[in-house]
Amino acid sequence: MKKCHQIEEKNVDSKNAILLMGNPNVGKSVIFSKLTGMNVISANYTGTTVTFTKGDFTYKNEKISLIDVPGTYTLEATSPAEEVAVDMLKQGAGAIICVLDATNLERNLNLAFQLKEYNMPIVYSLNLMDVAERQGITIDIDGLSKALGAPVIETVATHNKGLKKVLDEAVKAFKAQEEIQIEVLSKEERWKKVGEICEKVQTIEYREPKFIDKLGDWTMQPFPGIPIAIVVLALVLGIVVGGGKALRSLVLLPIINEGIVPIITDLVSRIIPEGVFLKLLVGDFGVLVKGIEWPFALILPYVLLFYIVLSFLEDSGYLPRLGVLVDGILRKLGLPGGNIVPFIMGYGCAVPAILGTRASSSYKERLILTSLVSLAVPCTAQTGAFFSLLGDRSVFVLIFVYMISFVAIVVVGVALNKMLPGKSAPMLLEIPNLLMPSKGTLFKKIWIRLKHFLVEAEVPMMIGILLAALIFETGFINVIGTALEPLVVGWLGLPKEASISLLLGIIRRELAVMPLLDMDLSIIQVMVGSVVALFYIPCLSVFIVLVKEFKLKVALILSGTTIAFALFFGGIVNQVATFISNLF
Amino acid sequence: MSLYKFNKKENCIIDELPTNDLLLALGLRKGVTVSVLTRQPFGGPIVVKMNNRSIAIDKNVAEQIMARLVS
Repeated sequence: MKKCHQIEEKNVDSKNAILLMGNPNVGKSVIFSKLTGMNVISANYTGTTVTFTKGDFTYKNEKISLIDVPGTYTLEATSPAEEVAVDMLKQGAGAIICVLDATNLERNLNLAFQLKEYNMPIVYSLNLMDVAERQGITIDIDGLSKALGAPVIETVATHNKGLKKVLDEAVKAFKAQEEIQIEVLSKEERWKKVGEICEKVQTIEYREPKFIDKLGDWTMQPFPGIPIAIVVLALVLGIVVGGGKALRSLVLLPIINEGIVPIITDLVSRIIPEGVFLKLLVGDFGVLVKGIEWPFALILPYVLLFYIVLSFLEDSGYLPRLGVLVDGILRKLGLPGGNIVPFIMGYGCAVPAILGTRASSSYKERLILTSLVSLAVPCTAQTGAFFSLLGDRSVFVLIFVYMISFVAIVVVGVALNKMLPGKSAPMLLEIPNLLMPSKGTLFKKIWIRLKHFLVEAEVPMMIGILLAALIFETGFINVIGTALEPLVVGWLGLPKEASISLLLGIIRRELAVMPLLDMDLSIIQVMVGSVVALFYIPCLSVFIVLVKEFKLKVALILSGTTIAFALFFGGIVNQVATFISNLF
Repeated sequence: MSLYKFNKKENCIIDELPTNDLLLALGLRKGVTVSVLTRQPFGGPIVVKMNNRSIAIDKNVAEQIMARLVS
């Protein structure tokens, strides 16, 4: 058991705690959000919640702590998510709300019966009733309630249907303090009993598959699945790259550079007298100039569009299908296809990607995916920076940088797969239905992610820029530049001031690129700078997550390796490109 | 015959399967009827249909699942 959980657990008072449990992807996180009013991210694939979230609220004068436990199929503690669930149960709670998927009763009841082995009152929320209806499934609620010996309430969590009733029953249950019958069954007995109950309470009527169901099946066939995947990928690139550029140059840059920044500069220079302090605020590297232009005009458009696309793909249920298609190839990197989800998330931000690997059961998979995301997958902020730096100068260099990233992922993945001991787990995955995401949930999710970016990015970015301004204005840049001269100028072929990139890159990944924007660089220098930035140390927040998830040693090794990698290959690119250009 | 070798769309009943709790949890047990929906190149998984559900099964695991054709 990991230490971090033990510390958090002490804060949970078990008497008025309600555990929200169930199989993966049954809508627990949606129920949690609706009941507590807290925003947690849900998605249409298994394993969104990998650690528990607690929400406190008062309901009918009753103080309640609702705990969103990671989704599990069983309670055998074979993955970190299951370990958390079993731990929460052992600790005890006032009641359990067990969420059942009405479209998949049999498997859900298996967990329901396992929960009955713990001495706690249970209330069942039979969720996804709308989907079940569409699929022609009807369930005898009273019969099910009798068979389970506890209240069963029909719910459609996304539309807030039945949730109040679930909460009423749960509160009633933990106040009643009735004697609970513990039922311990062997695995065989349990499945037998579950089968009998399903036969009794459930009727399935065959419905002709709709177009979206057929499309869902097609996306998993090599043909037309692979052409569909290529079209989806092209659309994603088109929206993020093309849309981002349009948004940046037509909307945000004019507003910020011609509107907001001049007003601020004017205002500040009236109040504050000439001098170093004024330069720190509104000079070339001024916090109030670059600190607004970089994150809002140059990075934000790409971040926004990427999160719109990612959230849509997540909620549609398309990503696990892509996982099926790429499993054969991804496996050569030691990663079963299911890992495509955290992998793609890595193109947004490495932090949720690394946390997302908790759903996979093997340590080897986690480490490989984490290494690849830390080393060679640019996050969306960095992508924005690359587009700003390279998009207008040379599309060729832009493509070159992404080719390098791709090659590095393949080579390092194959090498790590060979080097690291252990096996990666076989792919066994439920494929959710393909569906049109609900607008409300989608909008909320994009907003949470955007807010997160603004809060997470803006503060370190301002600090970074302030640091840069200080280093430039005090002339300290010359000291650093001279110290790093053999490396930066000699090996990488960059100007002395570029050493600022290496310093700021530690704080945030895109800050390794942004300072290069305002230096008058040759095309080779831009290329070298981009390659260095691509591989360079993952930012501070990633480092912190690495320490938390893998201990300090692994975090230090990973960071050290990425720095060495960045400087080595940046230099190689410089030497080769210079050599070639001298030939002509 | 192993589940991996069945033709697409053929209904078959599972006779034997390796001990794996996740398989059980996903609803794959002795006696259930499934049909292969898709197959992938490069040793990728197969996807089987069970009632209304689709489940991706690793090639190695699918090869260990024994099933017989439903006539």
